[in-house]
Amino acid sequence: MPEVDIEWPWQYNFPPFFTLQPHPETRSKQVAAWKSLILEYCEKNKIYVIDVRESSQGPLFYNSTINRKLEQSVILSILSELQKTDNSAPVDKLNNRWEIYWHTLEEWASMIYDYVLGQGIQNSVLTLHELVQGEDTAEEMFFGMNQEVLLKVLRLLEKDRKCEVILEDDVQGVKFF
Amino acid sequence: MRRGIGLGAIKKNKYEQEKYKDKGNEIQENQFEQMTKQLEVFKVNLEEFATKHKNEIRKNSEFRKQFQEMCASIGVDPLSSGKGFWSVLGIGDFYYELAVQIVEVCLATNAKNGGLISLDELRTRLIRARGKNKSHQEISKDDLIRAAKKLKIFGSGFNVIPMGKDKYMVQSVPGELSMDHSVILQQAEKNNSCLSVSYLEQVLKWEKERGEKALEHMVNQGLAWIDLQNCKDKMYYFPSLFTACINSTN
Repeated sequence: MPEVDIEWPWQYNFPPFFTLQPHPETRSKQVAAWKSLILEYCEKNKIYVIDVRESSQGPLFYNSTINRKLEQSVILSILSELQKTDNSAPVDKLNNRWEIYWHTLEEWASMIYDYVLGQGIQNSVLTLHELVQGEDTAEEMFFGMNQEVLLKVLRLLEKDRKCEVILEDDVQGVKFF
Repeated sequence: MRRGIGLGAIKKNKYEQEKYKDKGNEIQENQFEQMTKQLEVFKVNLEEFATKHKNEIRKNSEFRKQFQEMCASIGVDPLSSGKGFWSVLGIGDFYYELAVQIVEVCLATNAKNGGLISLDELRTRLIRARGKNKSHQEISKDDLIRAAKKLKIFGSGFNVIPMGKDKYMVQSVPGELSMDHSVILQQAEKNNSCLSVSYLEQVLKWEKERGEKALEHMVNQGLAWIDLQNCKDKMYYFPSLFTACINSTN
C-alpha cells in the first residue's frame, strides 16, 4: 500500500529522537512526541495494525535520510504507553502485533452508532463489508476499518444492547437497535 | 622668630590645625554642593530631553540604546525607577512589557528546547507574538538583553549567556551554566548543533573527563539529547541550536 506523506514533526529529523533518552524529563517529552507521531501516522495511512518485527520496513520507525531507527524494545515500551490511554492493544501473546486506535474503541463505537441513528437504519441487517467498505459510508471516519477492530467496536455496542453481531459462515453482519 | 615652646604653643598649633581642617571641609562641601547642583541640572536636562523625545525613545531602538547609555553614565536607571518622573515616560514599562513577553516565549518553547533559546529565535518569536498593530515599535537585540537581564532579580532562573560575536543564548531554567558550558554551546553551534567528547578533545584540547562532565551536566539539565546510533561516537545534540527545532511552529 503506498503510504501517504504526513507532515513529519521536527523531531523526526533530529537524530537523538531515535535513541531512548536517559534524562527522565527529556525522555517523557520524547515518548509523548512518539505517541502522537504514531497515532497521526496510523490515522493518515489508515494503519490499524503494527507489527513490531517489521518496524524497519516503513518510514515511521526508520528515517532513512538520517539513517536512524527506533529499537524494537523502545517501540514496545511506547506502544505499552499508548495502551494505558486505550490507544493501542497487543493482539498476540508475544506482543509482536499491536492494534492502534487513534480513536479509542469507545469513540469508534459512538461514531458508528451515531451514524446508524442518523441514517435511521436500526432494525435492518448490514453486512460488515457494507458498513465499512460500502458506498454509503465512504465519507465516514470509520470507512475502511480493519475487521478485527470493527468486531471489537461492535462487541462494545452489543454489551450496551445497541446491536447484535451475526457471525455465520455465509453472512457476517450486524443488526442495530 | 622664636620657636613655639610650651603649652601655649601647642594649643596654638592645635588651633591652627583645626582651622585648616575646617577650611578643608568647607571647600569639600562646596565642591560637593556644586557637583550635586551640576548633576541636578544634568538630570533635569536629561529628563527634559527624555520627555521631548519620548516617542523617539519608544520607537527607535538605536535611539533607545544611546539614551540608556547616557543614563547609565550618570547613574540613573530608568528601568529600576517604577515611580516618579521616569514612570511617566513609560520607558520602564516598555522593558517590563518586553520582560513579560520574554518569559512567555521561553515558557512556550521550553518543551522543545529544554529552556535554552538563542536570542535570534527569541526575537523572531517575540515579534511575531506582539502582532502587527505594534510593528511601529522596533525591538532590537539590545532591548531584549536589557529586559532579560532585569529578569535576573527572580533568582538564577534567567540568564543571558554571551556566545561571542553578537550572539547570545537566553537560559530560562534554574541551574548555573559555567564557562565550559558556554564554550560547548559555541562549538555545537558551529557544528550542526551537535558534538562529542572526542570533538572537544581535538578542537579545544580538553581532557576527556572535562568534556564528559560538562556534557553529562547538560544532559541532566535537559539541554542536550544523546544519540547512540552514530557509527563512531556518542553524540550530544542541542535542540535549542537545531534548525528544524528553531523553525518549528510548536
